[in-house]
Amino acid sequence: MSGARSLAFNNQRSGWLIQAIFGTTFLVTAFLIITPLAALLHGSFQTGSPGMPTVFTWKNWADLGSGNIIHTLLITCFISVVTSVFSTIGGAGLTWLVYRSDFRFKRSLVAAVGLSFFFPGFILAMAWVILASPGGIFNDVLDELFGIEWLQFDIYSVGGIIWIQVLHIIPFAFFTLRGPMISMDSSLEEAGYISGANPWAVVRRITLPLMIFPLLSSLLLCFVLSVEQFAIPAMVGIPGHVNTLATELYLLTSFSPPNTGLAASVGLAMSAVTGLSILFQRQIIRRHNAPTVTGRGYRVRPMTLGPWRAVANGVCLFYVAMSFIIPALALIYTSGIKFFVANPFEAAWTWRNYLQIWDSPGTIRAFWNTLVVAGGGAVLGLTLGTLIAWFTHRLRPRGYRVLDALASLPFGIPGIVIGLGFLWSYVYLPIYGTLLVLVFCYVARFLPYATETVGAQVVQLDKALEEAAWVSGANRLASFRRIILPLLRPTLQSGYFLLFIAYFREIAAAALLYTASTQVLSISIWAFFENANWGVASALSIVATVITVTLMATVMRAPLKV
Amino acid sequence: MGISVKGLVKQYAGKPVVDHIDFEIADGELVSLLGPSGCGKTTTLRCIAGLETPESGRIAIDGEVVFDADSGVVVEPYHRNIGMVFQSYAIWPHMTVFENVAFPLRVRRMAAADIERRVGRALERVGLGAFHDRSSQQLSGGQQQRVAVARAIVHEPAVLLFDEPLSNLDARLRDQTRAEIRQLQRELRVSTIYVTHDQTEALSLSDRILVMHDGRIRQLGTPEAIYARPNDMFVAEVVGAANFFDVTVDDRGAATDTSGATFHTAFAPPGSGPARALIRPDKLLIGPDPGGDLGPNRLRGTVRQRLFMGGYYEYVVETRLASPRVLSSAEFAEKAQVVLSFDSGDCIFLLKE
Repeated sequence: MSGARSLAFNNQRSGWLIQAIFGTTFLVTAFLIITPLAALLHGSFQTGSPGMPTVFTWKNWADLGSGNIIHTLLITCFISVVTSVFSTIGGAGLTWLVYRSDFRFKRSLVAAVGLSFFFPGFILAMAWVILASPGGIFNDVLDELFGIEWLQFDIYSVGGIIWIQVLHIIPFAFFTLRGPMISMDSSLEEAGYISGANPWAVVRRITLPLMIFPLLSSLLLCFVLSVEQFAIPAMVGIPGHVNTLATELYLLTSFSPPNTGLAASVGLAMSAVTGLSILFQRQIIRRHNAPTVTGRGYRVRPMTLGPWRAVANGVCLFYVAMSFIIPALALIYTSGIKFFVANPFEAAWTWRNYLQIWDSPGTIRAFWNTLVVAGGGAVLGLTLGTLIAWFTHRLRPRGYRVLDALASLPFGIPGIVIGLGFLWSYVYLPIYGTLLVLVFCYVARFLPYATETVGAQVVQLDKALEEAAWVSGANRLASFRRIILPLLRPTLQSGYFLLFIAYFREIAAAALLYTASTQVLSISIWAFFENANWGVASALSIVATVITVTLMATVMRAPLKV
Repeated sequence: MGISVKGLVKQYAGKPVVDHIDFEIADGELVSLLGPSGCGKTTTLRCIAGLETPESGRIAIDGEVVFDADSGVVVEPYHRNIGMVFQSYAIWPHMTVFENVAFPLRVRRMAAADIERRVGRALERVGLGAFHDRSSQQLSGGQQQRVAVARAIVHEPAVLLFDEPLSNLDARLRDQTRAEIRQLQRELRVSTIYVTHDQTEALSLSDRILVMHDGRIRQLGTPEAIYARPNDMFVAEVVGAANFFDVTVDDRGAATDTSGATFHTAFAPPGSGPARALIRPDKLLIGPDPGGDLGPNRLRGTVRQRLFMGGYYEYVVETRLASPRVLSSAEFAEKAQVVLSFDSGDCIFLLKE
């Protein structure tokens, strides 16, 4: 029987140092999470913008009921429901192909899904504008090469937003569902075959019912991701006059006359939607823990696809093409030509766009800023996340539940809302306009990434490994340094790069918080794109993608294994 | 010397898991803590190791007080001179076999040559002499267990603590390792506490067995004494198989059951009134029914089940009021009419619980 209370806190003599570390961790976390929320709440009752003369008002909350906001809310919900349904179906289909069927290209498929997973949403959106906007490649090809005038794509639409979001979120559904799918006791399915059920009956009557709660959980997570999504609706929605809550919030804040107060109440309302969904999702996970796992290591007999093999291959190829290959090709093409033309044989090829990156001091500065924020911020985020994970999973001092709740709060708060919160915190926190505000915002926004990654490993770590060191005569510090740290190292490494990549490509919060001197790469790309400088925007995207993918390929190999 | 535990109390969420326990372990003695899961045996062990801090009581290892609630003495586990084998073995996966075993010496800043020599000797002792540079992740369960033992003895601790060390091994390996642990402990003559829920382990390994239930000690004694003369029905059932017969004890210390059979015991009965007579399966003798009137310490019955166990048979014999198990090398067919007999020295009366 292992006790719930740890040694460290039963022992007063060495306990004080750990208490001090816990206190600091708690305060820093509370500061990072509560600051933006409190500022938002404050802001939602103000008439003016942060730093402007202002008086108390209820108007911002009353305005939530205005026709415009209600319309935006309904559009957002529609887009998000459709997105989550299609993403979950797509993700579940791919998971099933990889882990339950005799699909031939499992490894390549997982690698491709991994690539799409790390392909930033705003770059994907940009590529699809190049491909499927009214003057884009697809329409040009259809019109000029084939003379088909009746078929025209318009990515600047509700359908366009959904299309790109589904492509973007399917990998997420895949990675959420594959855990439950792998760990599901395959003998349950085998018992179905033995009982005389054919493969489709087994899928329908055993696999699906067993997976219903993971599927529901994936549905909710995809819904939240979609509500939070800023880059995609910003790039294809704003030009098409389709606004979601996230873009509405951005427009309210960034265009004059700004209505930052209404933005705050919109942000809080949005957080209520996502927060409740996450709460519901966590309840599901807690109540209906992974369905019936026994670690027997037998692999279920893969289901024979037979004549469906060609269909499966076709669908997968289509997905991979749409979510990564064709967008990447479009970007490469656009980055290498002087003036945008759809027909590559009429194009004038050039390196100009790439050279222009190095000639623009603003862009170089953005590179450095991104490096500082992502590289340095990730150290901070990981350290905090590790401490929180250690306290909530291992030491569990008084108050650890509060710490846990605080640290998981950002799960339910959209990035742009946290960004807005830090914008409002300008009132009492004079760090606006510095890189520090970006770092704070990112650390807070992605804190759950760190705590979940490290926490999963801490839970796995047999407590006896540390106790064995103590009994062997190593004191707490020595056993931490010689036993715990080496065992956590791989997790800390991948956690660091996960955060690095997340910070590297974050755009929603940055869109609200950047100033001329604190511009980051994602904002630079967007700015070039908005100025119709597709060439440089594409070139910069490619450089950014290459950096991300290289990092992922060198360090994050683990999650790509079948 | 050895280990001394006085008035030990450990609570979780206000509920006592270990409830005022006192015992002494002599130098070089091996004592098993035996009981069902949740009885507090592992918690007691962890209190001695210093991995749990008790609410009250006093613990001394080798004469040195390592915990005393009254005077506030709490010696950290790394300052107690102990070796411990964990149930999960707790072999550090990022170290080789050699480094795992060398760890207690390294943290004691021993010279490299000494470390080399002592690790070598410890590994020899557990039969892993050739495993120095093996990665600890290439080991089987049995080998990991040996590494854990080597790591626990390498610094020659004052006491050895085993926390169900064999529960993750398969049956054959368990028998072999059990014998080796016994041998090793005899050679090292180190005071040892061995936590187990397996009665066979406790009976075969221990100098004395401490039977625990609900955080309290039920009985402490040699394996033979505990087996032959348990204090109560709980102990009787924890240690070895038990046949119970409902009886009524009269004033002269003899007992009868409602069918009229009489039971005599060589031991003092706990008092007159309803009781249960305990006779171990190996102490019941089975023989053909001679017919006629049976004397005391005899029961008439029918063989209901016969299991061939290799060197002997295990019978279930249906008597008028019970269905005791009987071990015997004599062969009887199922449904055979038999008489069970026993010696007064093998029958003990226990209070009903």
